[in-house]
Amino acid sequence: MSSSQKRGNVASVAARTLACLMLLAPAVAAAQATLQVTGSVSSPVLLTAADLKAMPRTTVTLKQDGRDVKYEGVLVGAVLARAGATLGRDMTGAAVASYVVASASDGYRAVFSLAELDPEFTGSEIIVADTVDGKPLFDYQGPFRIVAPRDTRGARGVRMLQKLEVVRLPK
Amino acid sequence: MIPRLLAAGLVLSTPVAIATRAAAPTDYVWHLPPGFPTPRVPANNPMSDAKVALGRRLFYDARLSNNGRQSCATCHSQVLAFTDGRARAIGSTGEEHPRGSMSLANVAYAAALTWANPSMAQLEDQALVPMFGDHPVELGLASPADLVARLKTVAKYAELFGAVYGPDDPITIDNVTRAIACFERTIISGRSPYDRYHFDRDDSAVSDAARRGEKLFFSQPLSCFRCHGGFNFSGAVDFEGRAPQQAEFHNTGLYNIAGLLSYPAPNTGVYDVTKKPEDVGKFKAPTLRNIAVTAPYMHDGSLATLDEVIEHYAAGGRTIADGPYKGIGHDNPYKSPIVRGFTISAEQKSDLIAFLNTLTDEAFLRDPALSSGPTSPAARSPDRN
Repeated sequence: MSSSQKRGNVASVAARTLACLMLLAPAVAAAQATLQVTGSVSSPVLLTAADLKAMPRTTVTLKQDGRDVKYEGVLVGAVLARAGATLGRDMTGAAVASYVVASASDGYRAVFSLAELDPEFTGSEIIVADTVDGKPLFDYQGPFRIVAPRDTRGARGVRMLQKLEVVRLPK
Repeated sequence: MIPRLLAAGLVLSTPVAIATRAAAPTDYVWHLPPGFPTPRVPANNPMSDAKVALGRRLFYDARLSNNGRQSCATCHSQVLAFTDGRARAIGSTGEEHPRGSMSLANVAYAAALTWANPSMAQLEDQALVPMFGDHPVELGLASPADLVARLKTVAKYAELFGAVYGPDDPITIDNVTRAIACFERTIISGRSPYDRYHFDRDDSAVSDAARRGEKLFFSQPLSCFRCHGGFNFSGAVDFEGRAPQQAEFHNTGLYNIAGLLSYPAPNTGVYDVTKKPEDVGKFKAPTLRNIAVTAPYMHDGSLATLDEVIEHYAAGGRTIADGPYKGIGHDNPYKSPIVRGFTISAEQKSDLIAFLNTLTDEAFLRDPALSSGPTSPAARSPDRN
């Protein structure tokens, strides 16, 4: 198979996946949405929108097009802790050689070091948001998205967030 | 429009360059839609209602063409979101411009004003090009002195210029372009169904199809938003309080003709200015606001419908099978890496177009304050702002 054929197949699969997602009514999709936390964690979990609502909440403010926009959600560190990721006082050794892949339902991905997501280690305010200005995220953003308020560009603000995978670098 | 005339524009702008002096205090009140930042205004050309009114009168005045046949509004018609519906504009003498009239909607925010000239960033400077440029002829005015002389014969202008700029020789070319620029900065479109959905959180403002289309627009496979982003669905925007933005231009693989340059002359993009091969075919990503009423599309109007535009991007570049422009745009060596191509079904295409249609701002298209009519610019239509 040529590289162009492979690209074509990947694009086709991505398009079919996207087509399936598009068929879900927005409200139903939001209610049924889950966030998978997996990889090098002791207790992989599938969190629902209700699970996130029940966790300690954090609000961050982004400047978008000159205006303040408030996002509310849960610290990514807290989400990872829920799955048993190595954080806090144990953030040494292999833990600081670990990273997190945030993946969206449309195939978009961004990487964070595990340490930078740990509030104890860096004071991270990076959250999994489910609310913007007090309302549910728009369809194109949610139901969940990453908000990284200290990033100067928005490229790691993964919208339509579906999965957080902790990866430990091989020895 | 008029990027081809950089040289002419610079030559003309030198003797009539706007003096830099401290901005006078202004109590001008912007009528901005929700979510829109305050436009950045040059310190030497503060906004005022009287200046906007003067600029509007000039914008619609055919005295600004040598033969009295055209005004700025000829190529920038309000009902077409300040475009002209043509593939390529036609000047006052009948000469065809190489490129299409660009929408003036939200031009106050644009970091780049023309299709392919990175250095044309001030409306006051740009206004000189259609007036006095001769390659091609647009309004075809002979000289700044000629225009000033003909405006001085109009009693109403003596009154209006005097009211804005004072009694000491107020009718100058600098003051003409300042007034037109002030009016152009009020050409703001932000009350579309999309805006009601997005900024007012009125879910009934847009259809489910449009919401699905919005997801496609912002999805990784399509990535439309990467060039048509932000509140203006465009390339870089400037506004008050923001660090000045660098203009962006993109080669989308619209052409890939044989020869040294892959785009047909004279429309070689930013290359025309820089002469750098990597700039061949780079054009501005214009605002998509009101895109449904600004057909045909692309810098040369060579795509007739939104359906054709989506096909172009889905293919990762346009293939032209025969004729002088024969070539596979997908393989253009300087094509933007963002234009990768994607698979899209007929239903998804319909959804995407439904989303694009939500960007049509009907109140803007018929706002009396932006029209040639007698209404004062201070009187906004009730469904705006």
